[in-house]
Amino acid sequence: MTQNLYHNKTLQWLFYIIAFGFLGLVPLISDDEFLLNQLATYAVYGMLAVSISLCWGSGGILNMGQGIAFGLGAYCMAMTMQMQTQADGTIPPFMLNNGLDSLPLLWVPFQDTTTGIIMALVVPTAFYLIFGGIMFTARVSGPFFAIMTLATLSAFATIFVDLQAYTNGVNGISPPGSLNLGDMEIDPYSSGTYWFVFAMLLVCTFAAKLINQSRFGLIVRALKDDPERVRFLGYNVAVYETLVYTLSGLIAAIAGCCFAVLTQYVSPAQFNVGFSISIVIWAAIGGRNSLIWAMFGAFTVQGAQSYVGDQFLNTWILILGFSFILVVRFLPGGVAGFVETILDRFTKPEVEPDPVDLKISDAKEVAK
Amino acid sequence: MVAGPARHHITVCVNFGGHEMDISSIAFANSLILGLSIASIFFVAALGLTIIYGTAGVINMAHGEFIMLGAYTVYAMQTFLGVPYFLCIPAAFIVVGAIGFAVEKSLIRYLYERPLDTLLATWGVSLILIQGTRLIFGSEPKFVQIPSFLSSNVEVGGLSLGAFRIFIILMALALAASVWFIFYRSDFGIKIRAVTQNREMAASFGINSGQVYSFTFALGAGLAGVAGALFGALNIVLPTMGIEYVVEAFLTVITGGGALMGSAIASLAIGEWQSIFALVTNSTFAQFMIFVLIVVFLRFRPEGLISASGKRR
Amino acid sequence: MKFSRRNFLKNSAMVGALAAPSIWIPQSRGAWGATLTEGEPIKVGVLFSLTGSLAVPEEDSTLVMQYAIDEINAAGGIAGSQIEPVIIDAKSDFGVYTEKARELILRDKVISIFGCYTSASRKAILPTVMDRDNLLFYPTCYEGAECVQNIVCTGPLANQHSKDLIPFMVENYGKRVFFVGSNYVWPKESNKNAKIWLENAGGELLGEEYIPLGDSEFGPVLGKIREAQPDFIFSTVVGASDIAFHRQFKQAGFSAETMPIASLTTGEIETKAMGAEYGAGHYTSAPYFQALDNPTNQKFVEGFLSSPYGKNGVTHYNMAETYNSAYVFKAAMEKAIADHGFNEVTSMRLRDACAGIKLSADISPEGETWIDEDNFNTWLVPKIGHCQSDGSFKIVKEAAEHVAPDPFSIYPDAGTCRANGLVAPDGTVRTDVI
Repeated sequence: MTQNLYHNKTLQWLFYIIAFGFLGLVPLISDDEFLLNQLATYAVYGMLAVSISLCWGSGGILNMGQGIAFGLGAYCMAMTMQMQTQADGTIPPFMLNNGLDSLPLLWVPFQDTTTGIIMALVVPTAFYLIFGGIMFTARVSGPFFAIMTLATLSAFATIFVDLQAYTNGVNGISPPGSLNLGDMEIDPYSSGTYWFVFAMLLVCTFAAKLINQSRFGLIVRALKDDPERVRFLGYNVAVYETLVYTLSGLIAAIAGCCFAVLTQYVSPAQFNVGFSISIVIWAAIGGRNSLIWAMFGAFTVQGAQSYVGDQFLNTWILILGFSFILVVRFLPGGVAGFVETILDRFTKPEVEPDPVDLKISDAKEVAK
Repeated sequence: MVAGPARHHITVCVNFGGHEMDISSIAFANSLILGLSIASIFFVAALGLTIIYGTAGVINMAHGEFIMLGAYTVYAMQTFLGVPYFLCIPAAFIVVGAIGFAVEKSLIRYLYERPLDTLLATWGVSLILIQGTRLIFGSEPKFVQIPSFLSSNVEVGGLSLGAFRIFIILMALALAASVWFIFYRSDFGIKIRAVTQNREMAASFGINSGQVYSFTFALGAGLAGVAGALFGALNIVLPTMGIEYVVEAFLTVITGGGALMGSAIASLAIGEWQSIFALVTNSTFAQFMIFVLIVVFLRFRPEGLISASGKRR
Repeated sequence: MKFSRRNFLKNSAMVGALAAPSIWIPQSRGAWGATLTEGEPIKVGVLFSLTGSLAVPEEDSTLVMQYAIDEINAAGGIAGSQIEPVIIDAKSDFGVYTEKARELILRDKVISIFGCYTSASRKAILPTVMDRDNLLFYPTCYEGAECVQNIVCTGPLANQHSKDLIPFMVENYGKRVFFVGSNYVWPKESNKNAKIWLENAGGELLGEEYIPLGDSEFGPVLGKIREAQPDFIFSTVVGASDIAFHRQFKQAGFSAETMPIASLTTGEIETKAMGAEYGAGHYTSAPYFQALDNPTNQKFVEGFLSSPYGKNGVTHYNMAETYNSAYVFKAAMEKAIADHGFNEVTSMRLRDACAGIKLSADISPEGETWIDEDNFNTWLVPKIGHCQSDGSFKIVKEAAEHVAPDPFSIYPDAGTCRANGLVAPDGTVRTDVI
């Protein structure tokens, strides 16, 4: 075989399908409620890692503020769920305690479930579109952009805490019931919800993969390597960067919605700097250039934290920090890069044709 | 306290509802002086980062933890060795500088070509430093003793400022002067500036650029340690104390552009803004507005106030 | 192309499966529930942060729980069965809190959970606790304004805390007050209550300032205080910010003799950390102080500090409240077992048994307390402590009677919280009011 198996498109899709096949089988094997809920939460983290891999691995945009889209989506969904539990005309109890006696304008769209869910997807995406647009047209990129996302994330955390009357501040919003879609109650512990979240993960990952393999993806990867060159070739780099950033925000918003449904709690902690950087850590350890390996990175790190973290207690963070440093230093492509290198060993280099031995006499003969 | 200063009535309407306030000129003047103090805190916090970023273009996410280590060094020296406070400050410089040197030699030097990866790797370092400090010293806040004459207040007319805050302002000026001297009047400074402008060319002139980078990083870390020695006494000593300073130090450095003067101007602007805005509205909203303003400013001038010489980012 | 069709078939099969509504309908919850079995230990969850930024207040709660459970087990356990605590580290992360609460309820099948410190963590796990009919013992002061049928609180509510403190300070120092707090729900609610007491005492509120949570820059606030020149300051600043506040207060030239800080949060841990000279002279209101002079407290302090759990060296109000919650659990369990039989005790039956449970002065280091039978908070005696030069507190005033807990004291329109729910003035009952 002359092509590194890692890059074989057919095999890649096969790998994706097999992996997702296994994930989809889980509820058929186990009906442990806690496990289903926990794995569904991991799927949410997987989506976040995929979104980072899309904009960082493919687009070279390090986004340390993915919590913005995640948090906004989660808040919108939680507000929708909260309004569902309110009898018509009543307002959430925490607002009464903050001196409001009628539903503020901000909450009105969430009284209707469909509008609420649409808002949950549109608001974060629109923000990313505008923010990305502003930043990328000014050619802010690389580490500058990363710090900007951090600052904006901190600003969101501050403002959500401060607007206590609208968001219940630090205490967050705890909708006392599960989401209801029509007649169905979406029980966070059921296999149905697991499959729903899993389907979202599948759709997002496959869509991202198709994007990567499309012409759009090709240009995005080109501008990751050298934006100037792509600019000289006539492409509007800012548009491509904004689009890939916005798409990653959409995936994060979907993840946020699923998160609110699964955990029934949202707070300004979703805007924590540490959490947003953790997403980057998962993608880095798994492999920033690969969507599915970034997803596995999220599963592994979070899974380790849940199951092994209790064993190690205080040293867990040390282990995480060390692993992260080792990966960044030695394995910039993460585990995926490692797999790629191993598969490279099995790739025979193209056989070079025998070098032509040019002596003056032979040259005359060849030239005839 | 003061016999009837002229009261200027200012009515201010704040975002979330009307808010009427009388602000006297004395309060405003005090607020300006406090802004100077806050600016000096930002400046001292950002100084080490300015040097590292301005020279090597490295964004050191562990900078807050270097500050924290400086504070813990002072605590440890005071509690276990009985060293008086003023001597603890240079001790913090040396200890944290040495730690910075070690970090540079073992990790940062391999990542100069990859700025995003430096960001991430230093984040990993910060996790380790926080958790390591927790394991060694425990999570509870620690206490740093300062000489009692610094624990008082200085009043002139109606204006007042805490003595320790005045000390920090003086330290900020002293540190700025020392750094300026190192960069512009010493041999080492010439080497640093040469390496900043063009690393390869400087190397071809016989300058060991690797060593220059190492010592510069150590200098930046040491300055962070001094900042920690000051802040630990002003507030508290906790493993997580550095996080508070990191984002704001970054914003100061990037707004300033990476040059010493830039950071000074940026910290002055941010400090005064925060103080005055907090007087007029509240501290939370002031913090939010600072973030927003910096994002807007950087959108229009991404290279910052004063571009650090040479290096094209 | 082959794979796209395969994808399509797979996806449509999944869509078909999703369309069947049966899998959405939750498994019947009525039959589910933690139960006890005779002869097996009684499992409880202990869910606090042992690592991370919240470890300082929360780790002590776990240590005190372990101490209390050891004590109870050594004295024979409950109805002959030992208590088995499942100790979990919440890592100061609400995501972990939520996940671990679910694990405790769904996997470990604990009969109740002792947990949470911040209101945010409580709100994070309450939906799960309510959903699965479990019981949470919450041992910290909080703002109230909740009527949940799955929680028992042993910490003071906002209406109990400052009731005596404000009039005491007005009497001793003057009518002009300045409020300072951290910017979140509990300080704001506490201030609302405090304003009512202040008005009753004839005081005057000069200003109300909130600083961001975790922030330690008090320069602007102290500047405003200097302008206003109050007689005393009422503080609901929490955590590390509280320590920074006291330090900067003294460094700015203010003196605790002329303008003391009266706080709801500064306890022995904080005074130890800020340095005795910075804490001395200020006041705190809490139901418990380490220096409380009664035999039960002396036994508690000595026993705890000499045990392997007492490594942090002080006892503090949050710890006393946690200790009490363990004994409320014990008393309620004994009652529930007597009423229903060992194997029939469920979390909800345990909750019902908590109504009116009284802890005598022999058991509770802070003196006699009991659980209100309507809203399941605690009747307690708030005390005012004056910080001494060594960081300990001297009790200068104790309330003459127990103060009733009222979670909706400042929201009379909302109704009264009773055992079956929040009863509005018009008679409608709402449950799960978070």
